[in-house]
Amino acid sequence: MILEISGLTKNFGGLAAVSGMNITVNDGEVLGLIGPNGAGKSTLFNLITGVIQPTKGTVVFKGKDITGKRPHVIAELGIGRTFQLNPLFPNFTVLQNVISSFQIRPRSNLFDTFFNTPVYRKNEAYILEQSLEILQLVGLYKVRNELAKNQPHGYQKMLGVARALAIKPELLLLDEPIAGMNPDEIDNTIEAIKRTSQLGVTIILVEHNMKILEICNRVVVINFGQKIVEGTPQEIKENPEVIKAYLGSGHDTQH
Amino acid sequence: MVVKGSMIAAPNSNTHRKNLIPAIGYGAVICLLACLPLIFKSPYILHLFILTLIYIIAAASMRFIMTSGQIPLAHAAFLGLGAYVSAVLSKHVGLSPWLALIIAALVSMCVGIAISFPFARLKAFYYAMISLFFGVGLLQGIESLGKLTGGLAGITSIPTLFSTGSKVPYYYVFLALTIISLAILFRFESCRIGWNLKAIDQSYLVSSSVGISEVKYRVIAVAIGCFFVGLAGGMYANYNVTISPSSFDTTATLWMIIYVAIGGTNDFAGPIIGTAVLFLIPQYFSGLKQYTPFVSAAVLFAVIFAFRDGLVSIPRLIRTRYQRKKVKVQTDDS
Repeated sequence: MILEISGLTKNFGGLAAVSGMNITVNDGEVLGLIGPNGAGKSTLFNLITGVIQPTKGTVVFKGKDITGKRPHVIAELGIGRTFQLNPLFPNFTVLQNVISSFQIRPRSNLFDTFFNTPVYRKNEAYILEQSLEILQLVGLYKVRNELAKNQPHGYQKMLGVARALAIKPELLLLDEPIAGMNPDEIDNTIEAIKRTSQLGVTIILVEHNMKILEICNRVVVINFGQKIVEGTPQEIKENPEVIKAYLGSGHDTQH
Repeated sequence: MVVKGSMIAAPNSNTHRKNLIPAIGYGAVICLLACLPLIFKSPYILHLFILTLIYIIAAASMRFIMTSGQIPLAHAAFLGLGAYVSAVLSKHVGLSPWLALIIAALVSMCVGIAISFPFARLKAFYYAMISLFFGVGLLQGIESLGKLTGGLAGITSIPTLFSTGSKVPYYYVFLALTIISLAILFRFESCRIGWNLKAIDQSYLVSSSVGISEVKYRVIAVAIGCFFVGLAGGMYANYNVTISPSSFDTTATLWMIIYVAIGGTNDFAGPIIGTAVLFLIPQYFSGLKQYTPFVSAAVLFAVIFAFRDGLVSIPRLIRTRYQRKKVKVQTDDS
């Protein structure tokens, strides 16, 4: 068990965006988090990564309580994430985006950095090599020297994943990785996620698109900030509650 | 903020030769600057050059803080803090002006760190407001220490760095200090520290998600910026002999912002060119002096409408236009 969320609650004024959420994530699995718009999926990600502070509840990562820690501290502990919108540094090139995402492993101290010592140079050479490797993994190697903001939407999203991989995460949170992509890009992305998972990274992904279910080991469905069902992709597809959440309850059945 | 160049040099054998051309260029500029006192014998012109050097350090340090997306409107007040600390230490305490200069820079840095900790996570607009108030408050504080700082009248007959009346030694020492300061600032900007500041400027959410601490790097930026502006203030006090609060008020900060903005915020050379053009030229043509605001406004308009990235971008614009023409000619031929 790599991540344990218990009783997590976030109220925005009177609105409970997430209420009493309990989720456990096992080592090495791909966990899907689905639910309609406004169900609280992205809020849950922001709570895990410390972007917003929970009202109640705890988040435990590898046996360590990380509730309410600052985002950069959580990144240091090994939780990487991508964002739904603007997932990158627009004015850096694709390669610079990945290079500047290597902050933790390895990290040079200020003295080495300023005086350009052999330690710093060795670290930077290693970072360059690793960055090119990651770009190859996600399929952005050929556009590495172009500005990130000039890339098509699908590439920008993949670059978000590449950036998150640069922190060498043990747990990777992907926020709608295939939203707005064309079918080709979706296939490539799913391929890249599978490859990442094979490297031993635990993945939680948020998605509307039911297509993503095919790569998940387990799926959690949330609606109105609460977990409604949990199970294998097959069970989820056939679950009447899920169908109700997505399609609404039929008006013609009861009256 | 547009970012150019790569964080680390590509490991090929051409790098040394590529570095040689700029190195020769810098060498030539430094030689030219070193010859200036031989060409211009007038003490007034030398005085202008010396003040330009001081303002170049101040403007370059201001731009360094701005790379992280914060606008330090207290910057002239920090220049004043450096000037007053240096003046008080060398006049009332009796320290050597050289030592006072270093202490002034360190005090300015410490005050900068102290105020940047609580405000490091503020975005541009809010930070600008807070620092504006802080700057005004700091200057009022200095003014109210009447006995030590002379209130509104300021401090006069500050011990100078050199006992001779000539301005030539000042020019050379300040030129050296400026070059060293700029070299240090340039190194900070081109290593990972500067890149992290630019990353924070582009998206603090994304940068925190990869482990860049917003507070740590912004405090570093303010510490470095305030160190050099404090140094510039100390240089100003011990060169100018008299200082008064009016030289360091909000108008002075706004002038610094104009120097940086007109020179170009995206380029390291921006504040250097901006200060040289906007400070030196109106003062040099002393007949123009009363028209300074108009000249500056005209240049500012030109920059806003024609060269978005400041005066430093003009050669680049010409080059791209020339290249485009060349491409057009080639396509016409074919």
